[in-house]
Amino acid sequence: MPFHKLVAPLLGLASSSTKSVNPMPIEPDNLLKQAFASHGRLALSFSGAEDVVLIDMACQLSDAVEVFCLDTGRLHPETYRYIDQVRNHYGIEIDLLSPDAVDLAAMVKAKGLFSFYTDGHQQCCSVRKIAPLRRHLVHYDAWITGQRRDQSPTRADVPQVQPDEAFGTPERPLTKYNPLAQWRSADVWQYIRDHGVPYNPLHDQGYQSIGCEPCTRPIGPNQHERAGRWWWEAATQRECGLHGANLLPVKAL
Amino acid sequence: MKITLVKKILADGSPCQKCADVLARLQSSGQMDRIDAVLVADERDPQSPGMLLAERLQVSRAPFFLVTTETGAETVYTVYFKFAREVLNTSISQSQQAAEILNDNPDLDYI
Ligand code: SF4
Repeated sequence: MPFHKLVAPLLGLASSSTKSVNPMPIEPDNLLKQAFASHGRLALSFSGAEDVVLIDMACQLSDAVEVFCLDTGRLHPETYRYIDQVRNHYGIEIDLLSPDAVDLAAMVKAKGLFSFYTDGHQQCCSVRKIAPLRRHLVHYDAWITGQRRDQSPTRADVPQVQPDEAFGTPERPLTKYNPLAQWRSADVWQYIRDHGVPYNPLHDQGYQSIGCEPCTRPIGPNQHERAGRWWWEAATQRECGLHGANLLPVKAL
Repeated sequence: MKITLVKKILADGSPCQKCADVLARLQSSGQMDRIDAVLVADERDPQSPGMLLAERLQVSRAPFFLVTTETGAETVYTVYFKFAREVLNTSISQSQQAAEILNDNPDLDYI
């Protein structure tokens, strides 16, 4: 039985189509411990930013942490160097996942290198991130992310454990762990300081959230970190929900 | 079998981009004629046909497809590539499927 079903009562487990309740948060390191004990093939996603704390925790629990990073080809030079720094610091291998060359070439040929500024970021993110991620996750039965509820309105309901309905299928279920879901940015930074964890130098330049170079910018002290990503897009353009009707979460195919 | 497509008008009156994308795909693949009805869910008007249908079916996303069989059985699809594969028997490219996954899971864009 998938782990998320076993721990569902404890965690108030939610799927991506339901609201999270999560009344009893589990400490991130304890959740990681349970995840390692429950899955044969478990992958840890590293974005090259402050989610490095998960690598720090995981390396204390297992000698066989499988870390991957989505190499969109558009990361800051500082981030590439930082990824290598993390690799050396922890003595781990990091899988850098590249976009499919044919799909990428077709998109760039048709739309150029900066189409996201006019067409929105979905197509570019789909080719450079989502498709490689989907291909990679086929090999695993669970994965770990650094998603936190305080990062963005789109993550406000992220549970600590969920059946991954985006990348899993009924024939090949996938469990997604978000151990830091309940942590705030300050908690992450407290951990980084307390444990001497190496961090991306871009954080010292005002970048709170770090993604691709053309789509990320430093923010001011009172701005939400979402303001540092895709700032040219209106929030409403990023949503598919129906607002204004009295609707429950979808129960559909 | 009857297929109903519900498309959305945003609260500010602008058309939903994803709905436009799905319609364009149906048109370019010549499958628009498989769709029996297109209803508009206007976020400014809870009584609009698409909003009423969404409320009856308790569907919270758009676009979506309602497939009704001769026996009256109803199936709702909110994921286009599943609808295309299972109902229209067409395959969708990997990159189009990835785009739809991102559209339906906006929290993934931070990954
Ligand atoms: S964040 Fe920007 S550059 Fe990176 S994959 Fe998305 S749209 Fe493309």
